[in-house]
Amino acid sequence: MTSETLLDELASGLTPVRLRSARRDGMVLGALALVELALFLMLGLQRPDMGHAMAEPSFWWKLATLGLLAAVAIATAVRSFDPSVAPHRGLRWAAWLAGSALLIGWGIDATHHATAPLLARLEWRAGVSCLVSMVLLSLPMLIALTVLMRRGAPAHRSESALAAGLGAAAWGAFVFFFRCGHDDPLYIVFWYGLGCVLTALAGRALLPLITRW
Amino acid sequence: MRVDEADQWGAWMAAAQGGHGGAYRRLLGELRTWLLRYFARRLPPAQVEDAVQETLIAIHEKRHTYDPARPFRPWLAAVARYKWIDRLRAMGRERTDELPDTIGVEDHESEVTSALLLRDLIARLKPAQQQAIRLVKLDGYSVEEASARTGQSPSLVKVNIHRGLKQLAAIVGQAPDDE
Repeated sequence: MTSETLLDELASGLTPVRLRSARRDGMVLGALALVELALFLMLGLQRPDMGHAMAEPSFWWKLATLGLLAAVAIATAVRSFDPSVAPHRGLRWAAWLAGSALLIGWGIDATHHATAPLLARLEWRAGVSCLVSMVLLSLPMLIALTVLMRRGAPAHRSESALAAGLGAAAWGAFVFFFRCGHDDPLYIVFWYGLGCVLTALAGRALLPLITRW
Repeated sequence: MRVDEADQWGAWMAAAQGGHGGAYRRLLGELRTWLLRYFARRLPPAQVEDAVQETLIAIHEKRHTYDPARPFRPWLAAVARYKWIDRLRAMGRERTDELPDTIGVEDHESEVTSALLLRDLIARLKPAQQQAIRLVKLDGYSVEEASARTGQSPSLVKVNIHRGLKQLAAIVGQAPDDE
């Protein structure tokens, strides 16, 4: 096909399009997040000792870290669905946040005076169960981000996919946090970290394949 | 591209988003010229027309992602660069056939420009990767011939080509938009 024919074909029968808006995408995701969290809490799945847990520094550490990480990564992903916006700076922020969270967690752990051996503190059976729950809870956000990514035009597909995977993972962990009764920083860093890394890597591997344009 | 030209293109794209076919046809015509120049400096001549058409189709399919409140040029440059990187990656996957000795060449300007740009890019790779890419992708040697000439095993030649092209795509991906 010659270019002239192509141009004629593209221009003929042109219909108005609904413009993509990062703000609207953000609002859709925000609504989805609220619905998921509300459903989770309405089903009575939150930990029974919430009042007691709130007195622990690890509670606020988990809440702030996961909430901020989810917000930064999801905002980075959504912004990067515009071809002229690169996700690199947002990803650097997310990495900085994760690093800071690890340092703070180490500080909290140092004041924890845990006496049990490291392997016992990881509680493998409960940890795997937490991991599976986190991954499942991240799926609605991951699916929504995939849909938005397909409609957008990310020019850095792999990095956008990584941001989307990380955002969905952090959100899944954030929701699960209301259920999880473990406050040991080592347990949290290991299992929550593993859950986030696995989901982020899955997003990084799969999303570029289905969002090619 | 002049500033007022970019503003005009942005206005035409905004009109096209509203369904104005005439403005869109004018825009596509001018973008085609711009894209021909853009890709002629970055790709082998045989691939330029295909890259232009692919990019025009991408612009058409993703026109809803252009925000009329923002400048048109960065959006266009980002789409063009994305398609360019896509082409470079595809070049890495394509099988290379030897070219015939007698091949007609009409105009050397774009070849020279592409060659200069490629030479600068390739110079940033490791020597073994440079050798493998030069011999197989640019000079048309088979993997086995390149292996015999460089002393690298055939599989190492393939690995060096693959990694080198991946590295080239990464270098290009980090480069700022221009044109």
